[in-house]
Amino acid sequence: MSISRTLRALAATIVVLIVAAWWFTRPQTIAEADLPDHRADASAGERIFWAGGCASCHASPVNGKRAKGDDKLLLGGGLELETPYGVFRVPNISAHTDDGIGGWALVDFVNAMQRGVSPDGRHYYPSFPYASYARMPVEDVIDLKAFLDTLPSVAGRVEAHSLGFPWLLRRGVGVWKRRYLDTEPLTPGVSPTLVERGRVLVEGAGHCGECHTPRDRLGGLMRERWLGGAPNPEGKGRVPNITPGGENIAEWSAADIAYYLETGFTPEFDTVGGPMVAVQENMAKLSAEDRAAIAAYLKAVPAVK
Amino acid sequence: MSYLKTRSIFAAIVLAFASPLLAGDDPRHERHELMEGVGDAAKPIGQMLKGEREFDADVVMASLETFDKAAAQFGELFPPGSETGEDTEAAPAIWEDRAGFEKALATWSDAVDAAIAANPQTVEETKSVAGPIFNACKACHDDYRIEDE
Repeated sequence: MSISRTLRALAATIVVLIVAAWWFTRPQTIAEADLPDHRADASAGERIFWAGGCASCHASPVNGKRAKGDDKLLLGGGLELETPYGVFRVPNISAHTDDGIGGWALVDFVNAMQRGVSPDGRHYYPSFPYASYARMPVEDVIDLKAFLDTLPSVAGRVEAHSLGFPWLLRRGVGVWKRRYLDTEPLTPGVSPTLVERGRVLVEGAGHCGECHTPRDRLGGLMRERWLGGAPNPEGKGRVPNITPGGENIAEWSAADIAYYLETGFTPEFDTVGGPMVAVQENMAKLSAEDRAAIAAYLKAVPAVK
Repeated sequence: MSYLKTRSIFAAIVLAFASPLLAGDDPRHERHELMEGVGDAAKPIGQMLKGEREFDADVVMASLETFDKAAAQFGELFPPGSETGEDTEAAPAIWEDRAGFEKALATWSDAVDAAIAANPQTVEETKSVAGPIFNACKACHDDYRIEDE
């Protein structure tokens, strides 16, 4: 074999590998025809909005502080998430046609929420917790869109993320998705009705595991330590273990958990702190049944030591 | 190692003489103790509201009076120089936005006064007067307390 033939074979192999990698990492979407025939209900969507904590990231900060009260409904984005991968800047998801998502078709929204793909066919980074939202019933996503459509339009675009290498290679998210994005329940076998209702909220819209579960080096959740506590993704300290196996809330009763989510008070009557403040405020807007369901699920998940 | 040790002993001696904050009446300790007492007083009320403990109007009133005393003293316990150290959870915002902090305290104090005046005799009455108090706790912690981790 001559050198030139060897080189040509090598070049052909590289081309094949590039094409294969491109194919392997392609953004995969749901087709419009596959959406269920579901009449969108904006008021049902409001429940999902609070369960999902959309405002906690997407509401524009007011004077450098997190939005409170009705300002939580102004979803102009702008919050910066400082992470080991770089700075993620949360985008405008208000109803604004140009700057927000007011111009999106329903299928665009579903693909963003459940497949992590933008309307122009690019991957979103998993700082947007679509790997959790993928577990939501798609009807809930449709209802959520109807609710978002009722919220005010906010002008203004947010700057792009500032990420380090190799994370800035957006296409690589396709590899990440192959490993970490699926729609299967994370805790099979826990199925009394109330627990199941809690599972849908915690594993899906609530995306509790995004902070309460540790991540591996690629930023994927370590499912064998589901809800077992993790380093704070944005700084010092730890996010508590919320399984029955940890030292944080193992001794809390289901009623204690529900009361905490409703009022922000621990059984020792300390108040909720840190990033959980905003989460608790959202949970307070759910029904007592939803909070009881979340508590029942948290009592049923495998104990992580 | 021994150099570091010598240096830290020296630093401790200097601090002990230089800083009145390390004396027994350190406001960082005082305010911590006071808040612990407030938490302890809140607990029985919360347990009654949760249905975990039998309602007792006298216990509720005793807790409200504990809140009242604490609210009267609390604002004095954040003098300049006590911003950090001793594991304080006080946020810099207390000193940067004193007016906002005083206002948050006043919200708490007013809610306590209203509850004492209402003299609640049932769980329902307690619930309606305790709500504003507990919300004041949370709102002030949210803005003026940092996480201890």
